[in-house]
Amino acid sequence: MKNRLRTLGVITAVACSLVVTACGGSTTKSGRGRTLTISNENGGLWTCGFNPFNTSTNLLSTGNVYEPLVFVNTLQNQKVTPWLASSYAWRNNNKTITFTIRDGVKWNDGQPMTAADVLFTFNLVHKFPALDINSIWSVIDTVSQQASNIVVNFKTAAVPYFYYIGDQLPIVPEHIWSSIKDPATFADEHPVATGAYMVNPCTPQNITYTANPHYWQPGLPKVAKVLYPAFTSNDPANTYLATGQAQWGSQFIPNIDTFYTKKSKDHHTWSPPTAQVVLFPNEKVAPLNDPVVRQALAYATDRNKASSIGEGGQEPPANQLGVVSPTFDSWIDPAAKAADTYTYDPAKVATLLEGAGYKKGSDGIYASPQGKRLSFSVINKGGYSDWVAAMKVVQDGMKAAGIELKASNLSDDDFNSKLFNGNFDLAYYSEPLAGPSPYYELRAWLYSQGSAPIGKPATSNFERYEVKATDALFDSFAATGDPATQKQIIAQLEQLMLKDVPIIPVTQSVNWFQYNTATFTGWPTPDNQYALPAAFQYPDMGQVLLHLQPK
Amino acid sequence: MRFVLRRLGFFVLTLWAALTINFVIPHLLPGSPVISMMARYHGKLHGAALKAVEAELGVDTHASLLSQYAGYLKNSATLNFGTSVQYFPTSVTKMVGPAIPWTLGLVGVTTVLAFVLGTAIGAIAAWRRGGKADSILPPLFVIGTGLPYFWVAIMLIMLFAVINPWFPTAFGSDADITTGWNAEFIGNVIHHAVLPAAAILISSIGTWVLTMRNTMVTTLAEDYIRMARAKGLSSRRIMIDYAARNSILPNLTGFAMSMGFVVSGAVLVEYVFAYPGIGYMLVQAVENEDFPVMQFLFLLITVAVLLAVLVADIVTALLDPRTRSAR
Repeated sequence: MKNRLRTLGVITAVACSLVVTACGGSTTKSGRGRTLTISNENGGLWTCGFNPFNTSTNLLSTGNVYEPLVFVNTLQNQKVTPWLASSYAWRNNNKTITFTIRDGVKWNDGQPMTAADVLFTFNLVHKFPALDINSIWSVIDTVSQQASNIVVNFKTAAVPYFYYIGDQLPIVPEHIWSSIKDPATFADEHPVATGAYMVNPCTPQNITYTANPHYWQPGLPKVAKVLYPAFTSNDPANTYLATGQAQWGSQFIPNIDTFYTKKSKDHHTWSPPTAQVVLFPNEKVAPLNDPVVRQALAYATDRNKASSIGEGGQEPPANQLGVVSPTFDSWIDPAAKAADTYTYDPAKVATLLEGAGYKKGSDGIYASPQGKRLSFSVINKGGYSDWVAAMKVVQDGMKAAGIELKASNLSDDDFNSKLFNGNFDLAYYSEPLAGPSPYYELRAWLYSQGSAPIGKPATSNFERYEVKATDALFDSFAATGDPATQKQIIAQLEQLMLKDVPIIPVTQSVNWFQYNTATFTGWPTPDNQYALPAAFQYPDMGQVLLHLQPK
Repeated sequence: MRFVLRRLGFFVLTLWAALTINFVIPHLLPGSPVISMMARYHGKLHGAALKAVEAELGVDTHASLLSQYAGYLKNSATLNFGTSVQYFPTSVTKMVGPAIPWTLGLVGVTTVLAFVLGTAIGAIAAWRRGGKADSILPPLFVIGTGLPYFWVAIMLIMLFAVINPWFPTAFGSDADITTGWNAEFIGNVIHHAVLPAAAILISSIGTWVLTMRNTMVTTLAEDYIRMARAKGLSSRRIMIDYAARNSILPNLTGFAMSMGFVVSGAVLVEYVFAYPGIGYMLVQAVENEDFPVMQFLFLLITVAVLLAVLVADIVTALLDPRTRSAR
């Protein structure tokens, strides 16, 4: 799950690449037949809990074991595939949505799944706010059942919440969960669900998923058994992939060409970008509250080198539009793209700063007319060696352009505490996939609701950018279901990113994916992007398992 | 008897001090479990929902440090360690429990093996000082100690698991094997343990060899050895009962210490071989501010080390009357 390279991992990875011809081997001893093995670093042993409302276990059970109402494909412009709902319809100016619940679906204990179970699930997360991990009840007014239909009424138009209630809410059986006193502390070791797989059995070292005999899609799943061993660290997981003992990988592999892809014609990798790693300027700290200084910082940021050197080329450079490319390219406005001149450009930095009265000191660093040097500290996660490397490159580039950065690489908790409470000049940070369109990530970073005063924890707007006009753009996006209007709003946000530079996207984090075609076909590929491909991506991994078949 | 009582009193005092430090240090670390919780939900959880989660976890506590300390002492005494923050809602004992046998099995057995083999080799090397065994073995094992552990482990994986696939590359047993007391499972576990055990042996045996050899060389120059020879005792008896018995004392204390540290696991073994032990679990707990797990593991290690030292003290007193009469 962790897609970052830990310090300890670097040492061993380097040692391993020294002997790279041997670290990968050539034998394919297991994996033949109908058993698929997933190789994805988990960082610890399995707890054998599968509660789909628990953020540390939901990635093991949402999609394959528990199923949502619909599947929203991030890679194909939010294309919707019906899942437990056979259809849905918006009405009442996007304030009401009706899901028609599929007939003939059974729980894996043989009992029928009905609209009553769906209603129960909505009410369950309302009754126990700790289960509402996407805060859906912050926008929902009422939910009711009409025969096989579920009607959701929103307080205001809430089009983007379709993703959270349709794709991210696992449906649970009333006959099991209604008797559970505290669902938040419920481990759920033997999940009763509708999905293609059941847990059978789980040990701290390995989860075995076997096909659900009651599954509602005839003939599926074609892969009878899936093993998910608990890899505590990257290296053994990578060796498992390179030796063909595992077929589905979802983590960073250093030096992937020699270590993995060149080992066999059946080894492939395709890791689409899904989010941005962002440099946050604290807008409450002078002179970072000046857009000109932020523009200068953006021109002084060497994104290409941060990607090629810091990330070994495996995570592509980001753009100042704030839109992940190529994943969300259809959302990029041609006019905004043409106006995006933010490449590494020290001459432009000089023009901007000198225009604002800054002068270069004898140490090569610009100083304000009042004599204050442009010198900032940047907080970073010390455990993420690739981020540390990327920031070192950015630091060097900024220095050459006349801006001083002082990196402070912190432990996770120290970092989080400073980031959330706004105790930083600049911060380097990213979140995993925010949603199936650029709206979700931009809203997280720029909507003022996610902000908080300095000293109080902000939930997502860490740079404390609070502009009413920008908030209005997000609100109007949420109110419209018209793709053209939505795109036009994103275009305005892109222009704002260029002009105001509230944040500086540096690189793009990817959905790590390695796959072996020797024994299984049907993987997501660049030509068939039917779901996000990483094994930690839920509910997408359920879709991947439904598409796979033994050779 | 008085000696044993004194030792026991000292044991209790050290245990209390260790428990207190164990409580204080995690609370001095930067950050807080609340912040970790927020980070876990990636900004999607706010307001009432976040408060609800914090309440579920008990991280919203505003109890004074002193009352937390009292609660902690009480929980330690009753072996109630609460739920893990990182793997909520799993209880600490349920999480750590399954890992303990693996660690004890692998690290415990290899520590005993390393001690027995290392001491024997050291004794033989000193006895035949300047001989073939003495000029080859100790330097070889010392090199082994000098090699970085993870490098030895990776080399072993490369040679004996990848190029020659004789042994598995990772894990404590096959993923889909049924756990149980049967020949198939035990054989599978031993098969998986060979490479990690070899790596630990290679990198730890040298210390024992060297300490034993050097102490024994000094002992061999003692008058009572000469006396024993003059009496015409057999070489074997001099070597074992006179020289080795006296030379083993420093090694014994070291051995007791390392037996105590067995429960702390072997972080790098577990890291490189994805072995299901508790060493890496401790590292993860520290990284994630998982106080309950951290405190339980530290407590486990402290108690084990203290017990081991206590036993070593008593055994040393039995073997060496001077430590008794000195006081």
